[in-house]
Amino acid sequence: MKVLEARNITKLFPGVVALDAVDVAFEPGEIHCIIGENGAGKSTLIKCLTGVYEPENGEVLIDGDNAMKNKALFNKVAYVPQEIDLFPYMSVAENLFLPYEKSGVKGTVNQKELQKRAIPVLEQFSIPVKPDELVKDISVSSQQLLQIARATVHEDYEVLMLDEPTTSLTTRDTEILFNIVKTIKQENKAVIFISHKLEEIFLLGDVITVFRNGQKVAYSQLKDVDIAWVIKQMVGRDVDQEQLYYSDKVSNEVLLEVKNLTGEKFTDISFQLKKGEILGFSGLVGAGRSELMQAIFGYLPVYSGSVMLDGKSWKLGDMHYSVNNGFIYLPEERKKQGILPMLSIRENISIAVLDELKVGLSISRRKEEELSRKIIDTYDVRTPGADKEIQFLSGGNQQKVIIGRAMICNPKVLVFDEPTKGIDVGTKAEIYRLMKELAEEKGIGIILISSEMEEVKKCSNRIIALCDGRKAGEYDGRADKEEILSAIIGANTERKRSRSYVQREK
Amino acid sequence: MFKEKNDTANALLNALKKSNMTAMGIVLLSMIIIASVASPYFLDIYNIQSLLRDLAFVGMIGVAQSLLLLVGELDLSVGKIASLCGILTGMLMVNQGINPWLSLVMGLVLGLVFGFINGLIITRLRLNSMVATIGMQGVYGGINLVLTKGKAITGIPEDIYFLGKGNLGPVPIPFVISIIVLMIILFMVKKTKTGRYIYAIGNSREVAKILGIKVDKIRIMIYSIVGLISSLAGILYVARLGSSQTAVGENWPMNSIAASVIGGVSLNGGIGNPAGALIGAAVISIIQNMIVLFGVNVYWQSAVSGIVTVIAISFSSISEIMRERKQRKIKLG
Repeated sequence: MKVLEARNITKLFPGVVALDAVDVAFEPGEIHCIIGENGAGKSTLIKCLTGVYEPENGEVLIDGDNAMKNKALFNKVAYVPQEIDLFPYMSVAENLFLPYEKSGVKGTVNQKELQKRAIPVLEQFSIPVKPDELVKDISVSSQQLLQIARATVHEDYEVLMLDEPTTSLTTRDTEILFNIVKTIKQENKAVIFISHKLEEIFLLGDVITVFRNGQKVAYSQLKDVDIAWVIKQMVGRDVDQEQLYYSDKVSNEVLLEVKNLTGEKFTDISFQLKKGEILGFSGLVGAGRSELMQAIFGYLPVYSGSVMLDGKSWKLGDMHYSVNNGFIYLPEERKKQGILPMLSIRENISIAVLDELKVGLSISRRKEEELSRKIIDTYDVRTPGADKEIQFLSGGNQQKVIIGRAMICNPKVLVFDEPTKGIDVGTKAEIYRLMKELAEEKGIGIILISSEMEEVKKCSNRIIALCDGRKAGEYDGRADKEEILSAIIGANTERKRSRSYVQREK
Repeated sequence: MFKEKNDTANALLNALKKSNMTAMGIVLLSMIIIASVASPYFLDIYNIQSLLRDLAFVGMIGVAQSLLLLVGELDLSVGKIASLCGILTGMLMVNQGINPWLSLVMGLVLGLVFGFINGLIITRLRLNSMVATIGMQGVYGGINLVLTKGKAITGIPEDIYFLGKGNLGPVPIPFVISIIVLMIILFMVKKTKTGRYIYAIGNSREVAKILGIKVDKIRIMIYSIVGLISSLAGILYVARLGSSQTAVGENWPMNSIAASVIGGVSLNGGIGNPAGALIGAAVISIIQNMIVLFGVNVYWQSAVSGIVTVIAISFSSISEIMRERKQRKIKLG
């Protein structure tokens, strides 16, 4: 009995075959994982399965009926998007039951009733918030769980589709989520789980379908295969998972020296970064890693402490100064803080160095084109041309453009904040290699902030663990994973609050 | 060599396809054709001249206003700045007896200062541009009334009349000036660093800051330019009337925004071309001109002009919708 089925689906876009005669079926009581590189056709498949797009060819069957002819059937598919999609200035309860029509509330909305009904749902998902809190005031992790809870409150759903649900979840919340997903599976619903994190797929899934270039390339029971097999199917070649990317040419010269820096979300942080070194920052979501770097960069205020770069005292609180003096921050939120979406790749690259492209008063189009072509070639950006608007590139390629743009400013220190968030395995390796090259060949000091322990371990020469805005330890890149983990969850400090984390972790 | 030529031709074609301005260009052209077929007086040289003279004022302010729209802001005090600068210039010439040309330059500087004040208040106090300039227009309008008690200033030296009333060949001087303004602004927007920064800020203020762009400095600069061009329009209007009137520019703020939007400049920033504002101003002026030529009942004039304006704006909105559709398709691929 298949609850949701796609038969022979083909979806065309100008110049691209997004989906090429794809067959895929989902059964109740089964967790079906879907994986593929960026641009492999996963998103297109989702949009076809949720009725956002009509495929050129083929049909979508829900409960055996053709959903193309009866659009109401698509209501049985509950979809949770990757990005947080809640109303920040409405209460948790209101967000949970919107649109009210689907929740049995008609016409006027009774707030008290809504909040009463929200409590059991919040308990089931272990979301530690009150139903009348505003969504903007709760943590990102809670928001993510709330979003999933929202999808499940509609009783008539048969299929739950989760698109990269764990990208902004803490370890604790990921576990909670997995338990919930397993419960849902036992209720005989079909679960579709889309993720780049292979460990999670093997932890949770029953079956897996792999996509590559718009085609379904493999389908298997997960118990019959291993990670290497999945990667091979996905990338089309073998990728060495064990390869390390830390820098081999660390100089003795101290490049950046931070002393007793205190800001809103971090307290008394000191560290040194050497030339050609990759320094990893590990910590839970909200540990203050990004805030620390943004403060040095000048985006956030610093209350006390000092920073020296290249032996000179550093001016805090001025981003213009930071960029022009060689400290560049590559933000985690690529879409919101990294790209100028409606401008072309060329304009996105040149914006950082317009002074060097000027002839007299005006910008030389020729120099600009030369520069963008160079960046596109050097960093292997896959695009039909430099005049394409950057929003149409995949995440990995956008990231490469942003790195390229940073590099033409001749940085001394480059901060990568979650550089591989939402990026597939193949491109991830390319970005690691790029970081290694920059450190070794140009002597740049690289700071890597990442929530993935594997990533930090693979790339860093040294690792600094932050917990609750304080430095919880400094480790060699080859240090024991468990040791670092216990530091970031606060086992080294004596605060009681942190202890509860440890217990949950075990 | 041939290939290169072909490339530029293609680039031009693509730019035309992409631009929301193109749609309005076509609307404008068809309006001209309809008007000239429907009324024998439309293509009359005097009618065309008065049309161009009319559209020059809203046109040049629209061009400046579109800079602000490009960074996602707007200025509702342009009309009051224009009339206040007109009054001040008039007073300098008539009451103080200062050389008309010197007074004119002083008037322009004052406009620049008013715009600078707008920008300073809005960026430093982090105000919403719309609400702040509603407040500031009250201030500028109030100063105007205090100075004049509502009376016009007459006896403006005839030396400067040609700036408003004169023609260069067959073309009215104000229109020539608005074209010059457009050329300068276009150069700035399309060719210089500042222009690129304006688009960057309009795309995302956040990203622009992270790139080390001095966002507030550029915003203040744009407000100053808007103030300067408003005062230019105000002073030219004095030259056109031969006196400084207090009620000049009442509908310039709204019309300049409407002209920009009709011309394809997005209210959300980041998209558009200042040249569109001039096309938009032409569309608005032709609508008003046609209403007069067709002898529409006085009581109906406002309603008819409103309806046609809304229709005109929907054309650029339709091209926006098409753009979004295409975008959604590509994103999925």
